[in-house]
Amino acid sequence: MWLVDYRDLIWNLTISDLKVKYQSSVLGFAWSLLNPLLMMLVLYFVFMNVFRFEQENFALYLLIGLIAWRFLANGTMTAMGSIVGRPGLVTKLYIPRQILVMSSVLSSFISSILEFVVLIPLLFILGAKVTPNILFFPVVHGIYFLIVYGASLVLAAFFVYFRDLNQVWDVVMQAGFFLSPIVYPISIIPAAFLEYYMLNPMTVLIETYREFLLYGVTPSPASLLALLAVGAVMVAAGTLVFKRLERRFAEEI
Amino acid sequence: MESDEAIVVEHLSKEFRIPHDRKVTVYEHIVGLLKGGNYSYELFQALDDVSFTVRRGETFGVIGPNGSGKSTLLKILAGVLYPDSGRVRVNGKIAPFLELGVGFQPDLTAKENVFLYGSIMGLTRKEIGKRYDEILDFAELRRFENMKLKNFSSGMAVRLAFATAVQTDPDILLVDEVLAVGDEAFQRKCSEKIEEIRRQGKTIIIVSHALGTVQGLCERCMLLKGGRILSSGETGKVVEEYLRISAAGSGM
Repeated sequence: MWLVDYRDLIWNLTISDLKVKYQSSVLGFAWSLLNPLLMMLVLYFVFMNVFRFEQENFALYLLIGLIAWRFLANGTMTAMGSIVGRPGLVTKLYIPRQILVMSSVLSSFISSILEFVVLIPLLFILGAKVTPNILFFPVVHGIYFLIVYGASLVLAAFFVYFRDLNQVWDVVMQAGFFLSPIVYPISIIPAAFLEYYMLNPMTVLIETYREFLLYGVTPSPASLLALLAVGAVMVAAGTLVFKRLERRFAEEI
Repeated sequence: MESDEAIVVEHLSKEFRIPHDRKVTVYEHIVGLLKGGNYSYELFQALDDVSFTVRRGETFGVIGPNGSGKSTLLKILAGVLYPDSGRVRVNGKIAPFLELGVGFQPDLTAKENVFLYGSIMGLTRKEIGKRYDEILDFAELRRFENMKLKNFSSGMAVRLAFATAVQTDPDILLVDEVLAVGDEAFQRKCSEKIEEIRRQGKTIIIVSHALGTVQGLCERCMLLKGGRILSSGETGKVVEEYLRISAAGSGM
């Protein structure tokens, strides 16, 4: 099993990824935490004063949505280039190539965990209903990892053959940002569309984070299981696609 | 499976498609389709029905002119490229030295890079830790262990890479002309290290243009041209054959 055999390599690549990311600018680490906070302030101002949404604790509502979304957006975007970005490790020696995707997603995962950690004091300050349900975080975040990893496998493999995929994916992510309940409350969705709207796994995921972080509610087992199923399917499908496309990586890079 | 065979290659073939009009983006594919879609390509037969066996403990040379398929063969043995047909059986842990310092990160220190590169070459963290001093001493870079790699000269980086790579303790070593690294003194050190590995009874496959190196190290040798084996056997005879065909080739 490559996960066990290459665990040191996966960890080293993840750590060196994080080191390079955070060392290249002194503010590197601070920026990655400031970015969602500043975004939250801008969006809070716009949506509170212009659109006047009726959403209790809108600041935290926004912030949780933003931080949750960032793992998908940043994670898939950086992981997409993980194969192309390290041509030497693909063409000069053999390591299972999904290691490159795995370690890239892992480093985004760790960044994301840090962002959530910074969120915790804000939960108290801004008056969330903090309960022991907050301990659901590792479970939900673990499932989220599967979803991002599965998507990244497909994206990284196709990016080898289609080098403008990042442009396409950027647009998809923009659309996804507004198709998920990040900057607006779900209540503005017309009842007729709600059924389809809830089919978006990111909607269910973001709402789950809010349930246990903001409202102190236990996430429903049904939605957790549904998310787990989505994650498992995505990893399986991603691995299949990746294995298929991997054969000609060394020729195409 | 007989245990004295390190590598068995059977009927190996590999073809490359070289498109006339290479499309690497979604945009180019769409434009290409609208214009009528030109997906024609040239076929290049890099390897054509190649079969050979390398015995355990043997130092085996692969020679041939440019474009004869040597590097393709090495990459297939390393697992980097997939063959179109044929089979490769490898008995033991294989370490490809196709290029040294693969995966080095300029923004990390020498020490961090040793751990990173070591794990890329298949060592565990513990193993690297145990051999760390030996690596630095061999590379003669002890004083610079906390310096970032981007401040290293290329010679220093290669020394660090070689010192780390030889610690992997493989059963089979694939070498692609990497012996020509560093200054004279370090090259001699590298040759000695390779010789030492050879004496330990490891299998080595060397791909090289330097006939002198091949004659000095290899008992048996194989001559490739146009993806086919022209001759194989005792090194002296194969090198003679190579000199004959290259003389004939340049005489035309």
